[in-house]
Amino acid sequence: MDNVIDIRGISKEFKEFSFDSIDLQIKQGYTTGLIGANGSGKTTLIKLMMNLLQPDEGEISVFGLDYATHEKAIKDRIGFVYDSNIFYESLNLKEISKIIAPSYKQWDRKKYKAYIDQFELPLKKPIKHFSKGMQMKASIAMALSHHAELIIMDEPTAGLDPTFRRELLDIFQEVMVNENRSILFSTHTTSDLERFADYIILIDQGEILISKRMDELQEDYALVKGNSDLLDRDTEAYFLNIEQSQGVFQALTNDKAQVQKVFGDYIVMEKASLDDIMFHMKAAHRRG
Amino acid sequence: MFNLIRKDLIIQKSQIMLFIPFVMFFAIFADHMSPFFIFLIASLYIPLNGYIYDEQVESNILLNSLPYTRKEIVAAKYVGSAVYMILSIAVAGIILYLFNFDFLFRDIVIAAGLFFFFAALTFPLFYILKPGNIGAFIMIGLIVSAALLPPALRFLAGHLTAITDFITSLSTTVLYISGTAISISLFLISWLASQIIYQRKVF
Repeated sequence: MDNVIDIRGISKEFKEFSFDSIDLQIKQGYTTGLIGANGSGKTTLIKLMMNLLQPDEGEISVFGLDYATHEKAIKDRIGFVYDSNIFYESLNLKEISKIIAPSYKQWDRKKYKAYIDQFELPLKKPIKHFSKGMQMKASIAMALSHHAELIIMDEPTAGLDPTFRRELLDIFQEVMVNENRSILFSTHTTSDLERFADYIILIDQGEILISKRMDELQEDYALVKGNSDLLDRDTEAYFLNIEQSQGVFQALTNDKAQVQKVFGDYIVMEKASLDDIMFHMKAAHRRG
Repeated sequence: MFNLIRKDLIIQKSQIMLFIPFVMFFAIFADHMSPFFIFLIASLYIPLNGYIYDEQVESNILLNSLPYTRKEIVAAKYVGSAVYMILSIAVAGIILYLFNFDFLFRDIVIAAGLFFFFAALTFPLFYILKPGNIGAFIMIGLIVSAALLPPALRFLAGHLTAITDFITSLSTTVLYISGTAISISLFLISWLASQIIYQRKVF
């Protein structure tokens, strides 16, 4: 299977965390969710993928091309959505499209107009009077109007109310199904992804903790609940992380068969949500 | 790159409407002022406004996410500012002419020379300094230079007669040509410096 983004051995130092020789692949034609707590390095990773930052070491290729020689060709095929407004605030959508449109080889005016209509956005109102949700929709309309093969979105649902979120997720899903593009989507609200992500990448403090297919993830991991009496040094080893309170424990395992064999009916095993996985993996990672 | 140059016109639509009354104001009320100064201010109007707009939003992130290279973004600023300088001086010239404000071709040459000089010094700052600090920096710079320049020039005139003699001995043509050559060279060096700075910039 082809990779739309291929990251090989990148390292970069930051104050709060560092990337140390990271390898990561984003599959072509699928939706990949990039999850992690605030400050885990999601935005930085996206900036590296967009060449807004350059790694100290290692290589990043997008569509099999490298930024050093094919920067324009790569960016022509990417649609981007960031969580903060990056458009000139005093301009309206009509004026902004005059700046954006000519930079892309395949800008589709009809499509842009159709999205603006669908999202019920005003063409002549300055962006600064837009709500957060409207800004996001405007950003998405632009990302989707130039036949981009890869859509990179950094927290597109942050700060949006639930109905709006739902609406946006439906739009993404529609785009995926109808047009077969690749989407990379970062969020700290994992419920956004459970509905439609094919791959999940979990990152914490600049380290990739998980990079798996969504169905594999749900197959491999399970949430285990039981009485704390069951835990001792030997049995604790079956779990990635354990939380205890009031005599009961809740733990994450990636060895379902073994846990079932050891604990039998003394425990309850449940499907682990992305939130559970993120929470426990992060705790385990921070514990070292 | 043409699109990037045109971008400065689109984002400053309302400011550009003000450009004509702005120059007219000078044409009517600034009759004691040297015409080259009016040309200089007019020529800096669009390029500086463009930078000020760009630093208000995260336009670096926008422009660098679009299919442009960093080289092109810097090149568009320099080429664009020269283009806007020529257009602005032309418009200002027409306005001054209509208002019977006397000026010579010499004024235009001096203004263009000073424009290149001023641009060469300030443009790289927009790539070095953090957004928001630039306005203050330029204001302080102007005040400091206004305070220091006259005494410095007096000192030079008084003590370095050899230099002043040399300068006054040059014919005006030589003076203008060398002045233009120096300021354009500075402008090109500044372009190169900005490009190097911008290549390494982190957003």
